[in-house]
Amino acid sequence: MTTATVEQRLTEIWETPKSVWGWFASVDHKEIGRRYLVTAFILLAIGGIEALIMRLQLARPDQALLPPEMYDQLFTMHGVTMIFWYASPILSGFSNYLIPLMIGARDMAYPRLNAFSYWSFLLSAILLYIGPCMGQAPHGGWFAYVPFTNIQYSPDRGMDFYALALIFLTISTTVGAINFITTILRLRAPGMSISKMPMLCYSTGTISAAILFALPALTVDCVFLELDRHWGTHLFKVIGGGNVLMWQQLFWFFGHPWVYVIFIPAMGILSMIIPVFSRRPLVGYPYVAISTVLTGVVGFSVWLHHMFAVGMSDMSMSIFSAGSMLVSIFTIVQVFAWVATIWKGRLVMTTAMYFALGSIACLVIGGLSGVYTAIIPVDWQVHDTYFVVAHIHYVLIGANVFPVFAGFYYWLPKITGRMMDERIGKWSFWIMFLGFNVGFFPMHLLGLGGMPRRVYTYSAALGLGATNTLVTVGAFVLGVGILVSIVNLFVSLQHGRVAGKNPWNADTLEWDTESPPAPYGSVHIPTVVSRNPLWDDHDEEHDPDGSRIFDNGRQTPSTTWLDATPYAISQMPMESIAPLLLAIALFIFFGAMVFEMLWLALAGLILTFAASCFWLWPRPEEQPV
Amino acid sequence: MSTTVNVFHNTGERVVLPLDVNRGAMAMWMVIATEASLFITLFCAYFLEGNNKNRWLIDQPPKFTYALILLAILVGSSIVLHWGEKQLKLGRYGVARIALAVTVLMGLGFLTLQSFEYLSHWKSLAPYSDSYGAVFYTITTFHAAHVIVGLLILGYVLCLPRYAPACESPYRPYHVASLYWHFVDVVWLFIVVILYLIPNGVVYVH
Repeated sequence: MTTATVEQRLTEIWETPKSVWGWFASVDHKEIGRRYLVTAFILLAIGGIEALIMRLQLARPDQALLPPEMYDQLFTMHGVTMIFWYASPILSGFSNYLIPLMIGARDMAYPRLNAFSYWSFLLSAILLYIGPCMGQAPHGGWFAYVPFTNIQYSPDRGMDFYALALIFLTISTTVGAINFITTILRLRAPGMSISKMPMLCYSTGTISAAILFALPALTVDCVFLELDRHWGTHLFKVIGGGNVLMWQQLFWFFGHPWVYVIFIPAMGILSMIIPVFSRRPLVGYPYVAISTVLTGVVGFSVWLHHMFAVGMSDMSMSIFSAGSMLVSIFTIVQVFAWVATIWKGRLVMTTAMYFALGSIACLVIGGLSGVYTAIIPVDWQVHDTYFVVAHIHYVLIGANVFPVFAGFYYWLPKITGRMMDERIGKWSFWIMFLGFNVGFFPMHLLGLGGMPRRVYTYSAALGLGATNTLVTVGAFVLGVGILVSIVNLFVSLQHGRVAGKNPWNADTLEWDTESPPAPYGSVHIPTVVSRNPLWDDHDEEHDPDGSRIFDNGRQTPSTTWLDATPYAISQMPMESIAPLLLAIALFIFFGAMVFEMLWLALAGLILTFAASCFWLWPRPEEQPV
Repeated sequence: MSTTVNVFHNTGERVVLPLDVNRGAMAMWMVIATEASLFITLFCAYFLEGNNKNRWLIDQPPKFTYALILLAILVGSSIVLHWGEKQLKLGRYGVARIALAVTVLMGLGFLTLQSFEYLSHWKSLAPYSDSYGAVFYTITTFHAAHVIVGLLILGYVLCLPRYAPACESPYRPYHVASLYWHFVDVVWLFIVVILYLIPNGVVYVH
């Protein structure tokens, strides 16, 4: 059997049919990862435009560009879009595309579930955005505190869109997390023991576990909200013995781990990029790995710091204050590891590295203001002011958007097969970095100066007009910087240099595949002997008798959790339209619940069951031969 | 499932690899983990609402006779199902299917009896009467929904054909579905203890 025929055979086995049906039925992790990246990026743009409109309103004191109600809807949609529908899905996009390639597997562990995860993410975003199209967007901020969001204060359907779209999204995120955990634990290439995994696997695995335990709190919370709004219960209403603070307790029990969900994988991206452009392995690999996992664990014990102002016992406040300071230690371990890697290495200043370094700078500023707000008296002072807004944006833009852009500049050559333009990229970085700091650093001062968040305007007498104008200018400069990168992408797609297998001389297995990768990834399932497979002498694909090709159908080896010793073959499913049908059925259910059309909701449930049956019905052609 | 599907060459040693049959069960374990967190959250909500006990309309703990009978039904069904799984491993497919059918019937019995229990409570307590009613009915209805889902899964496995000679029995679906069913039973045990027995015990101690 010659190599050419092996590649043809593998392509035949793994390629998605190029047809309309194939497009909707694709279960290829690369296709799904690309869709995740594109959809989440579009949502980033939408959320960004919402923010810019808000900044126009706040540019001068006492402006009336937006009525208060519309301002409320805009900041809510901005927060909800960015935190739920952009920040986590974009990281899922990277992980989806890269992790199977990085660990030498042919696909994710549950390819159809992966497709379902994407479709339900997309449809939940559509469900959320039906609200604003009807003029009934949610308006309670991204954390939607009761009693304001109860039916008597929010009578239109905005909050229903919020609650039900979120429950829909939790389903998508949870099945995605299950998929990542199984993929990372079971499908690693032979020899890639747990101590040799790329750092992105550690971070994605950690947050996937956190998702399993944290998201149900949000689901329960949103169900409670719907019950209170439409079914007459008294869960959050004092009048029937309800507990108003329960919303906050449950929301933040979910919410703080969620902050790490949208932040830890971005740290993982940095831990992948910085060693490559420092031309040496990551310093303190075990410590970075352990502190990644511990961030996820300790992240569950800090949620009360969002509620220091509600009036709690000193004991619980002290415990959670200590927890919040403790968690910063695990983050700083990673930061020191990066700094040490840079220090000991030989820097290659690519655009990806610019973004990575910029990210570290912003992350440190955001982390320090986080330590401030973990201290109770300071928190009381700055609670609900722009200081907190500055803090979350330094953390989320510094430790999510900048790493994501670093990831784009680093991995897009792999995904598109073309190099991005470095010169335009560096321009884009400097514009973004400048705009971000001009826009968000003064927010600290606004907050200390007493400007409350979520208020649609402010009086000229406060004397904050000039600072606010500066913030607005900064925000627009940041937007221009992002636009430059988008232009760069389209220019590079046309005119970029052909990337080749490994343009950066990087160390991990995804760079051992073609750019863009073939449908099956690598021809031979690689074997791994070190943490930096492509930097060592061992030939990953060395397989003289072709026993690691697996061309008997869609198959990939299963390996043990810790040592990655192969012990079985995983049979992978073929393309299927069922994931899309299931997502549509759920969309009908949740959409009907928003409008309280109970019969349609019941029909949605029946369709859900029917789609699941269709999905799971055994197909002889998928059985191993 | 004993058929060899591939020979694997790893560091000079040839290994015969069987088919991986546990991937689905692993997903189910994670579903159980996240569902368990869901119920833990619900129990936390119950205790949080308990802070406002003095505003609840009735200060009587719920009667637990029904709940214990329901527990007996579910535990019995789990035992039957587990026995069926053992039969399946031994290759007695017909017996296993009968065990599965009995489990489904017991589950239906559970739902019927629980609706009677609801009727008996309803006179004094409705979901919209106070926060206790809300949280009581929410938790038990969440559980009932899980019972219904479990029954749908079990019924589906009951209908699965014996396909393809290589996978001669629907053993894997049977195993995965029974994991879920056992979980649903364990949740009911916790509901009985937390919602029924402890409040009654507290009254008795006073």
